[in-house]
Amino acid sequence: MRELVRAWIAIGTQSVGGGTSTLLLIRRYIVERHGWLSHREFTEMWALSQLSPGIHLVALAGMIGQRIAGWRGVIASVAGMMVPAAFVTAAMTAAYGLIANEPLARAALSGMAPATGGMTLALALIMARDARRHGPAVIVDALVVIIAFAILTFASGSSVLVIAVAALLGAFALRRERPESGRAEE
Amino acid sequence: MTHELALFLVLLKDSALALGGLGSLPLIRQDLVATGIATDAQVVQALAIGRLSTGPNGLWIVSLGYQIGGWSGAAIAVLATSLPPLVMVPATAAGRRFLLTPAFAGIVRGATLATAGLLASTGTSLIAQGGVTTAWWQLAIGAVAIALTYQGRIHPGVVVVGGALIGMLLGR
Repeated sequence: MRELVRAWIAIGTQSVGGGTSTLLLIRRYIVERHGWLSHREFTEMWALSQLSPGIHLVALAGMIGQRIAGWRGVIASVAGMMVPAAFVTAAMTAAYGLIANEPLARAALSGMAPATGGMTLALALIMARDARRHGPAVIVDALVVIIAFAILTFASGSSVLVIAVAALLGAFALRRERPESGRAEE
Repeated sequence: MTHELALFLVLLKDSALALGGLGSLPLIRQDLVATGIATDAQVVQALAIGRLSTGPNGLWIVSLGYQIGGWSGAAIAVLATSLPPLVMVPATAAGRRFLLTPAFAGIVRGATLATAGLLASTGTSLIAQGGVTTAWWQLAIGAVAIALTYQGRIHPGVVVVGGALIGMLLGR
């Protein structure tokens, strides 16, 4: 158990920027270094974690912890990954808070705002690209994205309601595409 | 209801209804910025620090929690963002078959596509925060950030630091 906690603390504190860099470290520690999971098990858990609400990597950490050491493993893995990393994040925020009102920090913020905005937009494009279906169904999928964009941009509609309606619609109208002959199903 | 409990419930709800660490951004912005509890400047700082800090990038919510409520705000944010994804632990054990049905794939696809649209709207408004006074170089930073992030070859921290440096040079 101690080794499990140590592995997750290393994952949480050594990966900078989240996403892929965290995922690669999880694979390195859990699969390659300790052999707690096979590559196949890891890939399957990663795929399932993509269906989770909130932070997918927390779902992945929870599922891996459960497989290795039951509910204690869940707590050890999630707390190990999140708590030290959250401490670093809060400490960085505190440090930035000391200089946030300086003219130079305000100037930096005027450049960081469009940078984070652009990154958010790119992530939106990547999410849409990865979730969309192929063939004519892509038009329906694109319409969902455009309508959600328009509702928030022009009508300041409720984001929660938009997601809920789209999910409900999805259960009936956005199901998995039928595999075509000659092309493997995704 | 105490402020802490209210903050916890808002972050818990927004994390539970969004997909991915950044997916809750439009929801949180609506719940906390539109109501005056946080500012857009704080959200930008949180997003930037989340990209520069260690751990999953969903930890930007912890940075925002700290800015709203100090260390207790940060602790609340850790708890509120850690709980919703863990629903997958019993769900994969008990309902794995349901998770692999076409209907569930459709639910996730619908929620993901809608989240993408909401995030695109949020990203646009972060780039054009200055409204008509948004400078050409800010639009340029936004465009370059989109291209670099979409390509995925450059570390996100570099994009944030690059934006900050250009801001220091041109935004004074």
